[in-house]
Amino acid sequence: MRASLKTLDPFADSDPQALGARAWLLPAVFETLVRFDEHGDPQPCLATSWIHDAARKRWVFTARENVLLHNGTPWSPKGGVIEVPDDRPLPDILRELARPSHAIVVHAEDGSLIGTGPFRIERWDGEKSARLAAHGGYWAGRPFVDAIEIKMGRALRDQELDLESGKTDVAEILVRDARRLRQKGAGISATPSMETLALVFENSRSPDVLREALALSIDRATINNVLLQKQGEPSAALLPRWLSGYSFVFAAARNVARAKQLAATSPPLVFAYDRQDPILRPVGERIAVNASEAGIILRASTGPADVRLISLPITSRDAWIALEDLAAMLKLSLPPATSGLFEAESALLNGYRVIPLVHLPQAWATTGAVRDWPRLADVWLDSLDAKAKP
Amino acid sequence: MTFRTKLLLLTSLTVAGAVALVTGAVVVSTRRAFEHIDVARREALLDQFRRELDARGEELSRRVEQVASSSAVEQITSGVAEYDRAQAEAQAQSLDFLDVVEPDLTIISSAHWPVRFGYKNDWNISPGISPQDWRATKSFLARIPLPEGTAVALVCARPAPGGKALVIGGRKLNPELLKSLGIAPGMRALLWLAPDDLIDAQGPVENAAKLEPLIAQVKASGRESTATVQWRAQRSSAEAFLGLPLSERGQLMGVLLAGTSLREETDLENAIVWIGIMVGGSGIAIGVLLGWWTTLRVTHPVEQLAAGARAVAAGDWSTRVEVSSHDEIGELADSFNQMTRQLVEQRDRAIQAERVAAWRELARRLAHELKNPLFPLQITIENLQRARERSASEFDEVFREGTTTLLAELSNLKTIVARFSDFARMPAPQFERVDVNELVRGVTKLYEGRPPISLRLELAEGEFWIAADSDQLRRALGNLLLNAMDAMPDGGTLHVATESIKDGVRISVADTGRGLTPEECERLFTPYYTTKHHGTGLGLAIVQSVVTDHHGKVSVVSEPGSGSRFMIELPLKQGDLI
Repeated sequence: MRASLKTLDPFADSDPQALGARAWLLPAVFETLVRFDEHGDPQPCLATSWIHDAARKRWVFTARENVLLHNGTPWSPKGGVIEVPDDRPLPDILRELARPSHAIVVHAEDGSLIGTGPFRIERWDGEKSARLAAHGGYWAGRPFVDAIEIKMGRALRDQELDLESGKTDVAEILVRDARRLRQKGAGISATPSMETLALVFENSRSPDVLREALALSIDRATINNVLLQKQGEPSAALLPRWLSGYSFVFAAARNVARAKQLAATSPPLVFAYDRQDPILRPVGERIAVNASEAGIILRASTGPADVRLISLPITSRDAWIALEDLAAMLKLSLPPATSGLFEAESALLNGYRVIPLVHLPQAWATTGAVRDWPRLADVWLDSLDAKAKP
Repeated sequence: MTFRTKLLLLTSLTVAGAVALVTGAVVVSTRRAFEHIDVARREALLDQFRRELDARGEELSRRVEQVASSSAVEQITSGVAEYDRAQAEAQAQSLDFLDVVEPDLTIISSAHWPVRFGYKNDWNISPGISPQDWRATKSFLARIPLPEGTAVALVCARPAPGGKALVIGGRKLNPELLKSLGIAPGMRALLWLAPDDLIDAQGPVENAAKLEPLIAQVKASGRESTATVQWRAQRSSAEAFLGLPLSERGQLMGVLLAGTSLREETDLENAIVWIGIMVGGSGIAIGVLLGWWTTLRVTHPVEQLAAGARAVAAGDWSTRVEVSSHDEIGELADSFNQMTRQLVEQRDRAIQAERVAAWRELARRLAHELKNPLFPLQITIENLQRARERSASEFDEVFREGTTTLLAELSNLKTIVARFSDFARMPAPQFERVDVNELVRGVTKLYEGRPPISLRLELAEGEFWIAADSDQLRRALGNLLLNAMDAMPDGGTLHVATESIKDGVRISVADTGRGLTPEECERLFTPYYTTKHHGTGLGLAIVQSVVTDHHGKVSVVSEPGSGSRFMIELPLKQGDLI
């Protein structure tokens, strides 16, 4: 994978660039009491059930039985239950407990991290590679594969070559390359949209109208159709539609005439993006072209900037958690949870401090033998004979 | 300024001026010759540039045709290829710019700016031209929009098979183009490309600010223009530039700058100037030597003549000038020598005449002086002879009276003889320290209280010590005082004064008498000349003699009716006494 992770410790701070990879790997090693399904609904994990009082101040979680830690010792909370009493109502406790930072983690004497997930950390070699071995005593059954070898910090082109030469079974790919690789015989696996490309204004020097003009000048549809080979989801919302269900409400249509009107006599904006990133670079260039058509000059820079094109990972299948993480990454304050999700996201987008562009799935190319990727606990290989080159 | 200096200066200026004129003429001719050569070389360079541009245009059209006929364009137009497919084709054909566009010029795929698909190509290309016409179109210059600005390129457009698309390729006007021109030594070609690129055969040109005025002039006028740029303080760093506008369809794409180094010209001019300086210097040196020799020939006799004239003016009338030449200077010297000979002869004659006149005057004066006592002597003796015939008592009385008269007149004669004798025997002065004021005060005291003449004494403050013979000086001053009193028989004011003059003291004696005529003033100091009936004419002569012996001078200022003023000027320093 492209990302490099120093550690898989759920409590450690992570590089924002590696948040997506971390969110994907963590559940394979560490589990929480509750987790969210594809629809964002809480599902039992290490807790099989839970009850609370009428005021939602006292919560009692029933611990799953026969859960073994990676070192073979049983995980058995006292009395088989976990009580969370508080003098305040805790309506969002399930969401909080589903966060990776609330995973069950045991710190061994040798410093290693022990969890209850389907894989244990057999080796973690800095930011270069890691090996996850199957946890034989996993409560939901041992994974099909014995181990997963992960090479970190690998460029996409190198990963593709590794896949073609049979050095790996799975390689990260750009969504826009999915069609090309599929034509070459590779298996393509993709998540729902787990990444949001967005323009973020890094200071308040730019007036609101100029930010709005920039938002109106961008041709999201063409970016998705041509640059991303229709693999993304053009949107003016932060959360993808599968997560929030309302992303289409935010207007993403282009209006160059209005943008020109708003941007009249506007000063140039310093525009930055990662020029080495194969997705961000063309999208950034296209945004500059679109903006220029509307009379907005974006001057490319690699240093401090007025506006920056970045990729924001969707860190959770829970919309609130994902939105909170997005707000934290954007250093924006989120309205209290008492307001609705839509209102909260609208508040974030109000003022065009952040301009979402496209939601992108995470995609992998696999050999023909790999099945059920990317859910690591369910992944299995057909057979050695079936492991063919793409 | 001496004649010699003038002559040398004139010679030097003449030589220097002549050399400067010749040098200037040669420099101007050289510069014109260089300018003609430069013009020819620059025109050749421009022709070469145009030919090179045409050759590159033909090469470009071949490459673009290959792209247009490739399967890649078919894939691009059919939507099978990705949006940046043109990049591979541009790379394969070494094209810097490549757009595959629809007939309405909408970009399908762009090599140099891949994300610009969907926008119109704006390379100054007219849409709607038939494929046949595009095939016949030659390459042209165009301004290519880029993400970071614009670039000027040589561009060619060719239709894809079936006319579904147009392939427009371009190559930058780069240093290689200039390098291939085969530029003559001492020349270079620069290319300014809109909006602000300046390159030469080595790459971007640094410090091009000095060329900006020429470029701006060409941009403004749209015509050729020339300028000379001096890159550094030395004139040899100067470069003459001809700016040629490169326009396409009314748009200025760039300016070709053909530069010629002025180093060779400057070096040659400097060499000419140095030769001129050396020739001029040598000419001046030779001129100085020749002038020196000439002036020796000319001015030396003149200087001898001048020295002789000064000697003559100083009284040496025997001076002779030795001149060996037989030219005008020789004639002048001969004339000078003849003049001095004549002057000596005339002087001798004048002295002789003056002596004769002096003797005559002396004889006249002696006769006059002696005649007066002789007549009473004659009368007295005749009376004595007649009285002899009378009685003894009468004779005795006449005898007593006669002898008394005879003695008186004889005494008078002795006095006259003594005066002449005194003047003839004027002794040498015996110098001593004398205070002039004190001496004047002492002399004037003898002449006080003689009405109707009043004496006014006005002495300068201080003491004026001189070396003088006080007796002689008193006598001289006394003579002047007596003369002044004699000049005022009806009374008047006798004004005696001393005053300080430079290195000396002046004693002046002025009267308010009848005054003297200029002729009288001129002859006053001549011995035996007098304006008085009873004078001997020796008083002022004695005064002059005394003053001269004291290394001073005596002068008179007078006008008839206004009195006379005699002045004695004596030096303060004289001998070892002071």
